[in-house]
Amino acid sequence: MPEIILKNISKRWGSFKAVSNLDLVIEDGAFITLLGPSGCGKTTTLRMIAGLETPTEGEITIDGKVVFSSEKGINISAAKRDVGFLFQNYALWPHMTVFQNIAFGLETLKWKKPEIEKRVQEMLETMQIVQFRDRYPAELSGGQQQRVAIARTLAPRPKVLFMDEPLSNLDAKLRGEMRTELKRLHKDTGSTFVYVTHDQLEAMTMATKICLMKDGFLQQYDPPLTVYTLPANRFVADFVGNPTMNFISGEVLSNNGSSAEVRILGEHFTYKASRDFTIQIGAATIGIRPEYLPISESGSLKGTAYSTLPAGMETTVKIKIADTLLSSVMFGSLDYKIDSDICFDIVGSNILLFDGEGKRVAAGTLSKVE
Amino acid sequence: MNDRQTLSRPEKVFNKLIAYLTKPSNVIVISFLIILTSCIVYPLYSVYSAAMSVGQMDSMMYNSLFGLHLKKGDMTFLNFSMLMLGKYSREYSTSFFWKPLWNSIRMSTYSSIIALLVGGIIAWLITRTDIKYKKYISSVFVFPYIMPSWTLALVWKNVFANSKVGTGITGMLESLTGICVPSWFVYGIFPCSVVMGIHYAPFAYILIGGILRNMDANLEEAATILKADRWRIIRKVTLPIVLPALISTVLLVFSSTMASYAVPVFVGSPGDFYVMSTMLRSLYSSSYSGQSYVMTLVLVLIGIGMLALNQAVIGKRKSFTTVTGKSGQVSFVRLKGNKLISLVIVIVLFFMAIFPIISFALESLCEVQGDYSTLTLKYWLSREEIGGIHVAVGKGILFNSTILGALWGSIKLSAVVSLVVGTAGFLIGYGVSKNRGSKLATLLSNVAFFPYLIPSMAFGSIFLAVSTKLLFLRGTFLLLVIVASIKYLPFASRSGASAMMQLSGEIEEAAIIVGAPWHIRMTKILFPIQKASFISGYLLPFVSCIRELSLFILLTSSGTLITTLLSYFDERNVVQMSNGINLLIILVVLIVNFTINKLTGASIDKGIGGN
Repeated sequence: MPEIILKNISKRWGSFKAVSNLDLVIEDGAFITLLGPSGCGKTTTLRMIAGLETPTEGEITIDGKVVFSSEKGINISAAKRDVGFLFQNYALWPHMTVFQNIAFGLETLKWKKPEIEKRVQEMLETMQIVQFRDRYPAELSGGQQQRVAIARTLAPRPKVLFMDEPLSNLDAKLRGEMRTELKRLHKDTGSTFVYVTHDQLEAMTMATKICLMKDGFLQQYDPPLTVYTLPANRFVADFVGNPTMNFISGEVLSNNGSSAEVRILGEHFTYKASRDFTIQIGAATIGIRPEYLPISESGSLKGTAYSTLPAGMETTVKIKIADTLLSSVMFGSLDYKIDSDICFDIVGSNILLFDGEGKRVAAGTLSKVE
Repeated sequence: MNDRQTLSRPEKVFNKLIAYLTKPSNVIVISFLIILTSCIVYPLYSVYSAAMSVGQMDSMMYNSLFGLHLKKGDMTFLNFSMLMLGKYSREYSTSFFWKPLWNSIRMSTYSSIIALLVGGIIAWLITRTDIKYKKYISSVFVFPYIMPSWTLALVWKNVFANSKVGTGITGMLESLTGICVPSWFVYGIFPCSVVMGIHYAPFAYILIGGILRNMDANLEEAATILKADRWRIIRKVTLPIVLPALISTVLLVFSSTMASYAVPVFVGSPGDFYVMSTMLRSLYSSSYSGQSYVMTLVLVLIGIGMLALNQAVIGKRKSFTTVTGKSGQVSFVRLKGNKLISLVIVIVLFFMAIFPIISFALESLCEVQGDYSTLTLKYWLSREEIGGIHVAVGKGILFNSTILGALWGSIKLSAVVSLVVGTAGFLIGYGVSKNRGSKLATLLSNVAFFPYLIPSMAFGSIFLAVSTKLLFLRGTFLLLVIVASIKYLPFASRSGASAMMQLSGEIEEAAIIVGAPWHIRMTKILFPIQKASFISGYLLPFVSCIRELSLFILLTSSGTLITTLLSYFDERNVVQMSNGINLLIILVVLIVNFTINKLTGASIDKGIGGN
């Protein structure tokens, strides 16, 4: 069972800490995305697991076997970790044809010729690139190169597959198609996928679990929907979701068991969570996803339309209220005249409460005190 | 899985060491550091100790002058004080040390300026103007660099020598027009500087042209949009950007010229014009070895100074010589009088590059120098001994076993050296690029460039000093291989590194992941992708080695290599033979160069680091 365990992994370049004390368990057959802004340490983490980078400290276990340990001085080379790696720039060998590129790994494994022939053909068919078999990488488009790279990586049937932003060089439409196919491939191969991306949409749509990092520190490690609805802190809440979450700064006036009195947008609200929580009286932030701010004529809150951005299927409306700009997403195509009055509500049970340090203390409902 | 949580310290260190050494790039860096350091430190020490001890004639001289009882090999400071400090007389120091030094410096300065102007202007014309015959110009212009440096010196002699100067041989100019040019025009600093300047002009062209070609044309276009005129753009934008390349060219040409031996021997010495290298040789061959090693030491120090200067200049300004990658469509400057300029350049190039070959052929066919009515094939085809005036000439070139043996010796040596150097350059390039930025890698790339600082003549004399201690090396083929391999490593390792740096790390990692062992990654992936660059790393040492004279002249007898044999015939004025041999060398070099170029796309430019 190829379970991957990272224990207290750190990577330093001189005095710069790229990854700090990372603990992570990647279950067998999972599709994990390492998500975060550029420079957060996600690629470094991936390369350390694959054995292309040497951690400064910690221990990595793949399938029960210690592949790296600073304590014991163990460092097994990437070649012996039995993993696949899909590179951002594909790293196709320009002097080999598509066939030779895909066959190379199998030849290294000393497969027999007919078997290689069979497996490559199989991969060409799966990736729908049979017609390019004898072409050189330079003669293929970006999307076709990507398919060849995937075929080359999957050909030796790796138990674990690492991918470093593999879709970032494709145009938006192809990216969408490849996402669908990668998810299928994950199912079909039954391998463990570890996927690095800075695109939260990619992470949301494909992963079974998201590992969100910032400045080398793990922020949250949960299934996508949990990350979306119950983010651990303001950073995670802000990073995931588009349009981004509305953060409304306010004040906690009192806190009692599972409820609190808060003041935001110049009004008093009662906040009710499903379980008890404690928060200091004083400055706090309320986080509301745009879909929890429905616009309606009977809405209890009043603002003005700052700008309307219809995208066809849904419309993002920017509402100005008491010097705060809020985003609301409505289904369908709407258009509000700029500066016209708008009424809206705050609904749903996943309104988030963040303390002064940005940590989420509760999720619950918010109702206006009349 | 190992369940023991704690390991003893030695075990941990051992594990870490194993992990470090399982990476081939680390092994390469460490082993080359050890080999190169020992190949440089020990020889330098031998030179120092040789400079501090007296040679055969040194001791006789000092004993008679100062009433001493020194024996050969005794330690003394007299070598220094005689040569540099005027211990015996000021005249002695001046004529044997200070004047040759001054001559060397003057010659090197003039040559660098000539090389820079000629090479720089051609580079600009080719990359930035609509000059005609670009293809012809750019391919023929590198000829002088591919050909041995003395080629042009010999041509100079062939053309301008006349009955009124030196040995009184009649040159082409006199025999065709009757004009006799003055002595300073034939022998001395003027021809030396011009010939060296032209020889190294292609070097300047390759370095400067490479940068101009890769420079983002937008930089200049931005200035055009801002209404700067052409001259202002050159002055304010182009020049500052290529300045590091200019300075580096000047310094490299300067130190190469400083080290040159053949040219001053051919067109200097007959006019009593001596430079450091020629004086060094004459002191050495008259057994004043102590004093000759003092000169070696000085040459080494000057070389080191030059490279330190180069590093200081390049190091600081390197940032903007880096290639931006995509250079857009350059709009060419329209030359006024394009036709005339192109024609002039084509004609001048003909005299620099093609005429020498014709000249050598012609001179090797003249029974009487410069008299074209006495044409004969006997110096090529005679199966009988040719009677010489001063010296036994032997049979015609094509049947002369000494000449053919020497040619074979040169080819063999060059082939072995190019294999060693090209492979070492490839490996060093790999080690350095894999360990990019680490202290050891930086140290290795500096150490590998170090031999460049040491003038060939000095390098030869250093290894001569070594071979007097390690007797099993003395006069052997192995010694020549070692010397040449170290001497030619700098450019090979540099081009190896630059070729490796162009490959993204992912290319190799993709092969590591599928478990390809190191030798497969090297031979099946990395080498084939940058084939042209790496083969250039093999080509350059071959070409340099086959035409090398000054490096070997102290180390081997004249019959071993074709170049030493050439020097032998030249010194004895057997003009037909020296011209014929020269033609032979040039043909071999050109044929090898063009064959490899056509087969693999490798070229001398790439070997030097141009694009």
